[in-house]
Amino acid sequence: MAYYIHFKDPNSEEMVRYLSSVPTCPGTCFFMDINRSTDMKYLGGLTDWGRKLNNTFNFLSLLNDFPENIVKGIGDEIMLFIPDDVLKSKPAINSYYLLLEEIYATLYNIRHYPVVDTFLDCKVAIHYCTEVYNITYFEGANDYYGSDVDLTARLMTKGIESRIVLSEKFLMKVHADLAALGLPDNSGCLGRLSGSFLENFKGVPVSTMYRVIDVE
Amino acid sequence: MELIEKNTEKCIIIGIKGRLDTINYSILEKRLMELLDQNVTKIMVNCSQMDYVSSSGLRILLMALKRITMVKGKFVLCSLQENIREIFEISGFTSIFEIYPNEEDALNAF
Repeated sequence: MAYYIHFKDPNSEEMVRYLSSVPTCPGTCFFMDINRSTDMKYLGGLTDWGRKLNNTFNFLSLLNDFPENIVKGIGDEIMLFIPDDVLKSKPAINSYYLLLEEIYATLYNIRHYPVVDTFLDCKVAIHYCTEVYNITYFEGANDYYGSDVDLTARLMTKGIESRIVLSEKFLMKVHADLAALGLPDNSGCLGRLSGSFLENFKGVPVSTMYRVIDVE
Repeated sequence: MELIEKNTEKCIIIGIKGRLDTINYSILEKRLMELLDQNVTKIMVNCSQMDYVSSSGLRILLMALKRITMVKGKFVLCSLQENIREIFEISGFTSIFEIYPNEEDALNAF
């Protein structure tokens, strides 16, 4: 349950004390965006784009395995945040490597589905967050704030259809999983990992290193 | 996961026992690709003992279907458990795979 921040006095000392007590909530943040859906809304009616969005959201298996971790949907974009303790408690997808493999497989299945006009291609950004807090300013809502969540959103600007953009920080977690499993660094979809890119994202004071994986 | 293989006059049957998940999908991938590289074009996958499938598992089935379809072969599935059938329905896989209720019916399709 998120920490609820709601103080009427803008200078409340109690608010400062309360905010100081909020712990960080390390975990993996995903932004997933469905491609071309804005254009589609001008070209076809709800029965067309609504159907494809339904099919595509259903296909995103992560949503099925982590339904309680969908933080919000804004139009055709979804934000998921999976805290480390939740990830470790899952019976099936319980490591960063498995998360990455699952999302890769999902994008592959969408891209290669043989019947046209059933699903829409997606792009995904993934970042491992440490500077993140499970807080909300709206009663009863769940949300996550922090500079690492903002950075995940910035990574999305490097996305194109059927591409996963991942931060170096998330990649390090994946490599640690592989080492623990005794698997090489280029296992599974990591065989398609790009070289590293360095970018100065708007509002982020330091350069960010990231990689991409384009679905074959 | 364990693969149980049977040769019949009509096709090769691969039974999947256990979970087809993100850790072990490469076992099935390796075996299917070996068969395809040997020009085996008639394969049935018996899912009666498969109790979980991840997206990575679905990906391997889709890859095999595409390769076999290209050479005009036949790749069918049979005996899906209810929870697996639901995953296949959500992902649209029931529309693209030939799926039979049991092995006997699937064999008759070859």
